[in-house]
Amino acid sequence: MSIRPIAPRRRSAHAIAAILFLACCFSSACKTSDDAAAAATQLTATAQSLTDYYSALDTVLANTDRLNSVQVVLYGIPYDDAAKAQIADARAEIQKRAAVAESLTNLAQNFTKLTGSTAATDASASAGKLEDEVKTLGASKTFASSSPEMAVLNDALGAIVSAIQEKKERDAAKGMSKFAQGLDELFAKEVPVYESLNTQYVAISSSLAVTMLTKGQTDPTGFFTVALNPYALTPEVTDPALKDGFAKIAVNQVGEKAAALNKSQQDATESMEQSLKQMARRIDLVANDKPMQASTAPVTLANVEKWASQFTSSTPATSPAKAATTSTATKAK
Amino acid sequence: MQSSLSELEETYITLQAKIGVLLAACQTQDQRDALSAQYVAARTAYWSCINKAFHDDDPTVVALTNQLDASNKQLQTYVTELGEINTTIANITQVVTIGAQLAAKVIP
Repeated sequence: MSIRPIAPRRRSAHAIAAILFLACCFSSACKTSDDAAAAATQLTATAQSLTDYYSALDTVLANTDRLNSVQVVLYGIPYDDAAKAQIADARAEIQKRAAVAESLTNLAQNFTKLTGSTAATDASASAGKLEDEVKTLGASKTFASSSPEMAVLNDALGAIVSAIQEKKERDAAKGMSKFAQGLDELFAKEVPVYESLNTQYVAISSSLAVTMLTKGQTDPTGFFTVALNPYALTPEVTDPALKDGFAKIAVNQVGEKAAALNKSQQDATESMEQSLKQMARRIDLVANDKPMQASTAPVTLANVEKWASQFTSSTPATSPAKAATTSTATKAK
Repeated sequence: MQSSLSELEETYITLQAKIGVLLAACQTQDQRDALSAQYVAARTAYWSCINKAFHDDDPTVVALTNQLDASNKQLQTYVTELGEINTTIANITQVVTIGAQLAAKVIP
C-alpha cells in the first residue's frame, strides 16, 4: 500500500465536506446545525491527523530498517531476512491503520453526496471500503490484543453501511458514533506500542550518530560556516583539535535532539488521543440529539502536525534495499 | 507490574546505546561475535513483542517481567561500568536470556 503524503491544505476542503455530511446526516437528530458542524469539523480534522500520525510512524519504521543496515556496515551486526520481516510486519500493520484513517476521511467526504442517488451509491461504497479495511485490520494479530476494539469497529461499520443503503440518517449517525468510540479505544490501547516504535528509532539513530561523530566520520564544515559566510570564505577544517571540539558539541546536540524527538512524539500522541476522545464524545452527543457543551474549543492537533512533518520529506518510496544479510565490513580490528 | 514491552525495550535500547563501546572493548573476534549475537537476540525479542500480544495476566509472564525489570537495572551497571569483557558478555547473556524467555510467551 502506498500512504498518501501529508497534505494539510486539503483539510479545509474535507472540513467543508464533512460539515455538509453531518448536517445532512444529523439533521433529524440535531436541533442546532452548529453542533453538527462542530462535530463534523473535528471528525474530518481528526481523521486526517490520524492518517498523518500513522504515515509518520510508517516512515519511522522504514528508517529503522535502513538504520539496521547501517549497523551492519558500522558494527558488523547481522541483519538477516527474519529480522527484516519483523520490521516489515509491524510496518504493514501501521499501514493498515493509516488506510482506515484515510478511508474515514473519504467517507466523511462522500457522505456529502448522500442527497443524490448516484452519490448515495458513492457513500455506500466508501463505507463498504472502510468496512473491508477494518476487517483486514481485525484479522491481524499485531499489536496488543485489539479484538474487542475491532469488534466494535466492525459492528459500527456494518450499521453505517446498512443505514446508508436504507437512507436512515439517524442510524448512520449512531453507527458513526460507535465507530468513533471504537477508534478512540483502539488508539488508546496501542499507544505504548506507537511510543515504543519511536523510542527505538530515536535510540538507534542517535547511537549511530554518536558513533560516527566519535570516530571522526562526520564533516564539521557546516559548523564553522557561520563564522566565514559573511566574508565569502569556505572552511577547511584540518586541525584535529577543532574536529574534536566540534564532535563534543555535536554529541551533546544529538542527545538534546533525541530527547526533543521523543518529547515531540509524546505530545503528538497525547493530542491525538485527546482529539479522538473529544471527537467521539461530540459525535455521540449529536447522534443522540443532546446539546454540546457550549464553546468547548476543539483539541488542537498542531502537535501531531509538528511531529509528523519531520518525516514527510524523508519517506522512502519503497522499502529499502535488500539489506545485507550477513555481517560484513567491520569484522573488527 | 512493569509492562513486558517496556522491559524488552529497555534491554534492547540499553544494549543499543552502548554497543559501539562494548564492541570496541572486545579483544577477540569470538567476543565480538558473542556480543553481536546477544544484541541480535535482544532485538529479536523486542520485535516479537511488538508484533504480538502478551498474556499479561499469565503468572509466568508476570514473574519474567519482574525478573527482567530487576535485570535491566543490573544491565545498566554492566554496560556503564564495563568491567572485564568476558564477564560483561556473560552478564549481558543472562539478561538477554530472560528477555528471550519472556518473548517466547508471546501469543502465537
